[in-house]
Amino acid sequence: MPVKALYDYDFPSADRAELFGDDQLVYVHWDGNPLFCSAACFRAPRAMPFGEFVTQLVVPWAASDPDFDPGAIQEWRLFDEPLAAAPGRSLADLGIRHKALLHFTVPQITG
Amino acid sequence: MTQAAPQASTTKAKTRKLPLKERYALLTRDLDWEPSYVGREQLFPYTSYEGIKVHDWDGWQDPFRLTVDAYYKYQAEKDKRLYAVLDSFAQSQGHLSLSDASYLNAIKLFIQGVTPLEYAAHRHFAYLARYLEGPAPRFAALCQSVDELRHCQTQIHTISNYNKYYGGFHSWSKMHDRVWYLSVPKSLFDDAMSAGPFEFLISISFSFEYLLTNLLFVPFMSGASFNGDMPTMSFGFSAQSDESRHMTLGLEAIKFLLEQDEANVPIIQGWIDKWFWRAYRMSALVAGMMDYMLPKPVMSWKEAFELYFEDQMLGGLFPDLDFYGITPPRHVEDAIAEKDHLSHQVYKILHNFSFAAAFTTQTPSEEHSRWLAAQYPATYERLYKPVWDKHARAEAAGGRIFFQGLPQLCQVCQIPMAFTEPDDPGRISFRRSQYRGETFHTCSNGCQWVFEREPEKYVQAWLPVHQIYQGHCGGATVPEVLRWYGIQDGDNGEYKGSPDARSWAQWHAAAPAQGV
Repeated sequence: MPVKALYDYDFPSADRAELFGDDQLVYVHWDGNPLFCSAACFRAPRAMPFGEFVTQLVVPWAASDPDFDPGAIQEWRLFDEPLAAAPGRSLADLGIRHKALLHFTVPQITG
Repeated sequence: MTQAAPQASTTKAKTRKLPLKERYALLTRDLDWEPSYVGREQLFPYTSYEGIKVHDWDGWQDPFRLTVDAYYKYQAEKDKRLYAVLDSFAQSQGHLSLSDASYLNAIKLFIQGVTPLEYAAHRHFAYLARYLEGPAPRFAALCQSVDELRHCQTQIHTISNYNKYYGGFHSWSKMHDRVWYLSVPKSLFDDAMSAGPFEFLISISFSFEYLLTNLLFVPFMSGASFNGDMPTMSFGFSAQSDESRHMTLGLEAIKFLLEQDEANVPIIQGWIDKWFWRAYRMSALVAGMMDYMLPKPVMSWKEAFELYFEDQMLGGLFPDLDFYGITPPRHVEDAIAEKDHLSHQVYKILHNFSFAAAFTTQTPSEEHSRWLAAQYPATYERLYKPVWDKHARAEAAGGRIFFQGLPQLCQVCQIPMAFTEPDDPGRISFRRSQYRGETFHTCSNGCQWVFEREPEKYVQAWLPVHQIYQGHCGGATVPEVLRWYGIQDGDNGEYKGSPDARSWAQWHAAAPAQGV
């Protein structure tokens, strides 16, 4: 149902990809760890290799949990699909687009 | 005032005073006129585009029959009583007899989150007082507009007394426009104010004031009374008779519109479905406050939800509205399904992120944890206590766990995406939609439905996290963003060891024994 208005109602999205230049937003959720209330949101270059994305952005955030072991990250998923997370490939190459949601797990860590 | 001239006024009344009903008619409806220089549609340009049909504006019954002189007289008397309480509380250092300084975190949330909404409501009811077509609803909107301004003022005057002694009370107006958790109430009101006049009536007068006002305001006011906050309790009482008038306006508005034309029914049902969920989602902040921020808790969120919403609204109101063809709001079953979880998930957000808030949080004490376990026997010890225990262990070792980053937000309610699946508390409820080639994330079936109903509206949402990443919030680091938010050192973070906690301990240690 379109918005009812007295004029042509057409406005751009406030977070459209072009506003982020060569970067994009990526969400990361640690499945099954209730210490974190929600997924995190990062701004990262599309060309950033996945390995760097993990070490520079994901690991410092996940380390909020004192029991976190960076070596134990497993089972990356992109939305609902498994992701072959080659560390040298860029986010763009892996099909991780603006506002994509990634998941990972770490065995045996719960609250 | 009353003892001065009782005889004079009774004799005058006999000769001059008209019966209330006639007086009301003369002073309100009879002041209306038919436009002759411009057409009605030019005078009232906003009452047709939403598709609502009104055949007889005089069918609007004003149950209160207030006139301006009577209205101001009542309100002035209520103000006098309130300000007497404020003065005596301030003069007797009443803040020292609160249950604990941490109680004030609830009141910080109130002045930052709710008081600016009163002002927004004042503005928009003033607009309705000009643009609704019938004189009776215009007058009702005028009274409500003045009420809301009075509520805003009395709340500022009441709560600002704490600013002298405690953090977090100093920049609430600026914070309301900027801070991440305050974008939740602000964006809800912006959504309502940018809708047409009839949708605004259903959103604010009906869904907000009628369906959920008890859930939103009673917990704050009873919390105030349980925790020794006489001033806040007094403004609650002072606003109560206004609130009951607003609730009646909400009910009158919906019945009037439903009776005017059958074609209005599906439009109004759509607004009830949307605004129940919007207002309910915002009330999640109140749920977190009720169960976790009151040193002396009053009743649990779950109990309040069952009493004020399930019994009074689903059990009482909706069977009445069934006569008009109105059904209970869409997604109400999801709200019921999460009543055992909501407050825990919300306080987890606040606790994760209070380093960036203008209030403090703390891990529940053993005693508070026992209260939570008793209120939530099905969920607390199994799902939520283990997380608090982990926090407690980290704190015992001298640490404090915060979320070292920024959260994913819901595109509609703007709350971090913390809510779980209605049938699985172990999985976050991620919903996503595509619109014009872009992905949009929502936290629940309700918010996704609201988004997909009017995507062109919600794509414009000013999501605080994304705005920080676009560089619009003072800088890229936490201290820069906090400075831009107006948050000062000590307003935020952990309660234990905070400036408020330290002052409180000092004041009470210094108090002479006979004074306690």
